[in-house]
Amino acid sequence: MNQPAPSRSTQILRGTALALVGVFAGMIIFAMGIAAGITLTRGDFSFRGASAFPPPGTATGSISVTPAARAAEVDQKLINETLAQLRNNWYGELPSSDALTNGAIRGMVAALGDDFTAYVEPKYARMLEDDASGSFEGIGATLRSVNGAGIQIVRVFDGFPAAKAGVQSGDAIESVNGVKVATLSATEVAALIRGPGGTPVVLRLRRADTPKPFEITVVRGKIVIPLVTSKMIGTGTDKIGYVSLYDFSANARQQLEPRIRELLDQKPKGLILDLRDNPGGLLSQAVEVGDLFLPEGDFIIERDQAGNVKRLRTTNSGIAQTIPLAVLVNGGSASASEIVAGAIQDYGRGQVIGETTFGKGSVQLPKTLSNGAQLRITIERWFTPKDRAIHGTGIAPDITVARSSEDSKANRDPQLDAAVNFLQTGVKPAP
Amino acid sequence: MSLKRPILLTLLAIGWGLAMFFGGWVLRGGMSSPGGALPQPAPQAQAGPGLPLLDEAWSKVRESYVGEVPSDTLRNYGAVRGAIQTLNDRFSIFIEPQIRAVERDQQRGSFGGVGATLFINDEGQIVLTPIRDAPAEKAGLKANDILLAIDGVPLAPKPELNEVLLRIRGDVGTIVNLTVGRGADRYELRIVRAVIETPSTTWRIVTSTAGAKAGVIAIQSFTARTPEEVKRAILELRRDGVTGMVLDLRDNGGGLLNASIEVASQFIADGVVLLERRREQTDVSFRASGGGFATSMPLVVLVNANSASASEIVAGALQDNGRAKLVGTKTYGKGSAQYIYDLSDGSSVHVTFAKWYTPRGRSIDGVGLIPDIDLARPEDEARRGQDSQLAAALAILFP
Repeated sequence: MNQPAPSRSTQILRGTALALVGVFAGMIIFAMGIAAGITLTRGDFSFRGASAFPPPGTATGSISVTPAARAAEVDQKLINETLAQLRNNWYGELPSSDALTNGAIRGMVAALGDDFTAYVEPKYARMLEDDASGSFEGIGATLRSVNGAGIQIVRVFDGFPAAKAGVQSGDAIESVNGVKVATLSATEVAALIRGPGGTPVVLRLRRADTPKPFEITVVRGKIVIPLVTSKMIGTGTDKIGYVSLYDFSANARQQLEPRIRELLDQKPKGLILDLRDNPGGLLSQAVEVGDLFLPEGDFIIERDQAGNVKRLRTTNSGIAQTIPLAVLVNGGSASASEIVAGAIQDYGRGQVIGETTFGKGSVQLPKTLSNGAQLRITIERWFTPKDRAIHGTGIAPDITVARSSEDSKANRDPQLDAAVNFLQTGVKPAP
Repeated sequence: MSLKRPILLTLLAIGWGLAMFFGGWVLRGGMSSPGGALPQPAPQAQAGPGLPLLDEAWSKVRESYVGEVPSDTLRNYGAVRGAIQTLNDRFSIFIEPQIRAVERDQQRGSFGGVGATLFINDEGQIVLTPIRDAPAEKAGLKANDILLAIDGVPLAPKPELNEVLLRIRGDVGTIVNLTVGRGADRYELRIVRAVIETPSTTWRIVTSTAGAKAGVIAIQSFTARTPEEVKRAILELRRDGVTGMVLDLRDNGGGLLNASIEVASQFIADGVVLLERRREQTDVSFRASGGGFATSMPLVVLVNANSASASEIVAGALQDNGRAKLVGTKTYGKGSAQYIYDLSDGSSVHVTFAKWYTPRGRSIDGVGLIPDIDLARPEDEARRGQDSQLAAALAILFP
């Protein structure tokens, strides 16, 4: 219980810092629209073997290299015609050609219809780089890009600047310091929000029950959120162990395992793994965390553009392979969280309780373009051990329990209550 | 007028949607000339690389994107959309070819068709209703027939309305075979396409309590046919002895600029109809064309919050020239003009090229026109057949 909490000046920093690592390593995984950045690198690059993505500067002798990119020269007559019309007749001042190019690439990327393939224009790509220096701080919130609805705040962390200033989860962001964000990707908006600690950032927000957009000024600060929390619920023979995991960052297993051991030593009747609002992280850590609870076997199936299939497996080294288990999930559980929940469901290892998960089963690879922009392309999709799709559908819980905003305000947690009740009685509630 | 109008408009509204509402257009190239009223620089499509970075980005997508990569056409549509979005103007838009074709028919006010309205029901089927005396009805089409195939080609499971509309339409005199389902039965209908007109104007006579007769001319949108329709309306109403007129522009979302100038010219003998301001140019004023049929008849204009664009030009011109009082609620406030450019593959772009001002220089854009008599119409009036705004207009005409 006295483990030092990892310092994180907002998860946005974490995400971007790690995203940058990803740029150098050539491979990013788990990029979640949740801009708070949950774009992390796969730890073991060489694992990919005949990967089509050799890291820059790596000798490619043993790695098959992608054939030179197929020429993608496309007749741009339509674009030239449009630009000519704009030049000749547009009423206002014509955007710079860089701005038009950025817009055109955004539009092109939007034609893919994939929420996670995103363009980060040079200006924001540079901000991400500056951010990696570690001097930037955030506001303590996560964001995501919602198709057709712009950028939305998914989660606001209690006690941090956004929460203190009155930002609420579900708020839609209209502008940041006067910059309209409607057409920007979540990564870009996160870059805009972050900055030196102690400086203000003005968010213009829309809220469902408020007729007009309004502005909130938030002062950036250091955000420290513990990666793992744990506690024992109840006493005697009915007591239940509880652990929550904030995301799947590099030392997820390392921090989770001792907490679970501590709980198991007290012989609880069951164990709860809380993955609610956990946006994902490293694929390698998803495997590591799954390994704690599952027997040896397939853990996840990955498929790429060419239909190549790869399976990642768990070993038989887990310390919690038999204790009755409940996994808490909700709409903010994404990516690695969904993989873990899906695998536990497929193995019949425990009950998944809460609400249907986010539905992000894909990997993004950032590519740097010659103008300095970053194009984050979805390169793989994931499937559970029983080959169920995660992407778009999410993982449906075995026991569905909602938690309303009234519940949250009143500090009630019917999902946790349902998990405790299930583990204590072994009885599933009537649907 | 006949009862068919509302249904027809409903139909058009489906394929047309907000685009019509936000009209206020000047056509370039394509179908009709704006009559030389506007300076029109020739479009200069420059040869050149366009945006080379697009190819670079797209080659990366092709190389590794996990899903199906869209066609080059869709890629370019996306790019054009994205480039236009940087203007940050919701009236400057890109329109794909099929939608553009339907739009063209609408602006023209007539097309070669079979004379039926269609809508998509809850099951995603296309439901047809014949228009009275039009070819489809004569060929045996009944209300609520379900469209199954066109020229022997079955419809896709979830057909796109505009696509179906365009497959049914065609040149006047040509034949289209429709397969329709009616209950458990199927029918093959062989229909010769004819000119289907989509009138934009209706008119009628109302009598005040004192027995005075007023002509009410309602314009739903400004199409290429509207000026002729309005002229006919005025002549008929005058022949029938009306002593005042009400021009009803409520819920009229606009349309073609030239039609609005012509309509205003029917009521203003002389004077400025609107001022147009373009980037880095002096204002251009558009004057009434002269020879109007109702330049001295007492006149009141009805407007509401859905009166936009071309409607606001007409209403503003009549108000500023002291020709008529406006009754109703504040208008929409869309005072920008778009050119419609047909691109080489049949798609088009709308580009805002000017802002409009009333003859006295009042801005319309984002502001709207304030009526002389501010009077909202209670929501349930239409259902009960009442119209307090029209009553107020008559009270002004016949005090």
